[in-house]
Amino acid sequence: MSIASRDGASADDDATLSSGWSYARKRQLFLIAMAAPALIYVLAVAVGPMVQGFLYSFDNYSLIHPGSRHFVGLDNYLSLWRDPTARRALINTFAFTFGAVTLEFVLGLGVALLLWCDDWFNRVALGLLLIPATVTPLVVGLIFKALLSPEYGMLGYPLAELGLSGPRGLLADPQRALATLVAIDAWEWTPLMALILLAGLKTLPTDILEAAAVDGANGPQRFWLMVLPLLLPAAFLALILRMMDAFRVFDIIFVTTSGGPADATDTLMIYGVKQGLEFFNIGAASAVSTVIVVCILLMATAFIVVLKPGRDRHA
Amino acid sequence: MPDRDRLLLILRRLAICAILVVALAPVVWLCSIAYKPTRDIFASPPTFLFTPTLDNFESVFRYFHLSALLESSLIIAIGSTAVSLLIGVPAGYALARSESPRAIWLAYFFLIIRTVPPIATLIPFYLLMRDIGLLGTWWAVIILNSALNSAFVVWMMFSFFRAAPISTEEAALTDGCTDFGAFIRIALPSVVPGLIASAIFCVMFSWNDFLYAMFLTKADTKTISVALLSAYGTKDISWGTLGALAHFSTLPIVAMMILLNRYFVQGLTQGVH
Repeated sequence: MSIASRDGASADDDATLSSGWSYARKRQLFLIAMAAPALIYVLAVAVGPMVQGFLYSFDNYSLIHPGSRHFVGLDNYLSLWRDPTARRALINTFAFTFGAVTLEFVLGLGVALLLWCDDWFNRVALGLLLIPATVTPLVVGLIFKALLSPEYGMLGYPLAELGLSGPRGLLADPQRALATLVAIDAWEWTPLMALILLAGLKTLPTDILEAAAVDGANGPQRFWLMVLPLLLPAAFLALILRMMDAFRVFDIIFVTTSGGPADATDTLMIYGVKQGLEFFNIGAASAVSTVIVVCILLMATAFIVVLKPGRDRHA
Repeated sequence: MPDRDRLLLILRRLAICAILVVALAPVVWLCSIAYKPTRDIFASPPTFLFTPTLDNFESVFRYFHLSALLESSLIIAIGSTAVSLLIGVPAGYALARSESPRAIWLAYFFLIIRTVPPIATLIPFYLLMRDIGLLGTWWAVIILNSALNSAFVVWMMFSFFRAAPISTEEAALTDGCTDFGAFIRIALPSVVPGLIASAIFCVMFSWNDFLYAMFLTKADTKTISVALLSAYGTKDISWGTLGALAHFSTLPIVAMMILLNRYFVQGLTQGVH
């Protein structure tokens, strides 16, 4: 908007420019030149290998017999579909993503509402609360693996003694391992969710909320009818970021259960990394990563279409 | 009425304190086991009382070449942060100032890139690095990390530049300042918090990553997170030693976050405004 108004002003200056290009055209070329290095770099280093991987997914390509690489069409996808472990991994990934994001959103909203008052206590609390999000996910996995140990863990021992977990602990229980991982993920990422939602709360017009209170709207009414709808843009950002991260969860699962017991916590990422970097089956691993990318893109698109966040902000 | 408000405030504070305990206890526990003698760590039932010892730190120095691990982590973190900021910041500026309706889609494209699963790029990238002889070097990790981190920087700086006032820039341009001059002298100084926030996140992502480093580095270039993971599987490395080692991998990032908390928070929430 502002540059456009400048274009009008600079139209008179065009005659003084030595080249034949208008100011607007020069400005556009400048901006393209500024954006080009990042775009080219990302296309070459991230998108290039991804496309390469997409092409591998149609080949029978094993690093153990690299000479025998040949085109097999959709075979990798078909065997993925026929493999019960892969189907389980797909279901687990969706269950984990849905469980983790829902839990983190509900808890995060609660924490954000508690912290919704800008005083020194809450600022300090928020700073400390963010520590879990900065701890290496790998270390988070190690911490909870030790804490949940039924023999010597501070959490696992009492749980096993009280009969709330099996004798081998929550992480070794096929029925509860995935839910336990959801809880660990929630421990790490709820503060982040709370932070983004809190930022959203702080942008709400307090005068309107106060007016509603004066007009007799009670707490729950104000929350459901005013706060929640107004919070939608922040909620959108928080949900989409967490959803895309949760879908490709790897570190904490790899460290705590590596997909076990049996395939109870196998996710697509774990399955794909095993296929590719343990069995060197590049074709199958590439098919898995293609499935992951397609799922993430579909979820993101569905999200954007359904919620249509902040259209006006980008206009 | 004031009494009721006071009670509510106290209840809120208590609830927040309870949440803080849940959030911090595991981290405190991790740090504490580093000072525990091994027999106390494996005590069943677990004990809270123990005589502090520095044995675990001694075994860290005995089993690990700590300075080399920290050097690798540091070089990779700083290298990829530098590359990401160098190419990401100008692109974020260009997208924020562009009049084209396609700019927002390009910004979304960069956001999506950051969320692509590592496995999708890692395997083909691994083969590429092997073919050009960079496998096992810091460069391989820096190049790959920078691609994903610069995409994140573009997105974050896009929000910061969009929120920055544009009128001074316009005045400078009218006064005959070049486009690039306006970017360097006027736009950049107005988004210093954004630059700091971007740097914090790049350092954090690179430092905390272990999947890329695990497959792209070798024995003499491996990072501290890779060492942590490989140590975990080893019989003679105890939890106490891991806790001591985790001090070096976790505390620098936690310290950075606490010192630069304001920028950390601002960076995460910029997209909301």
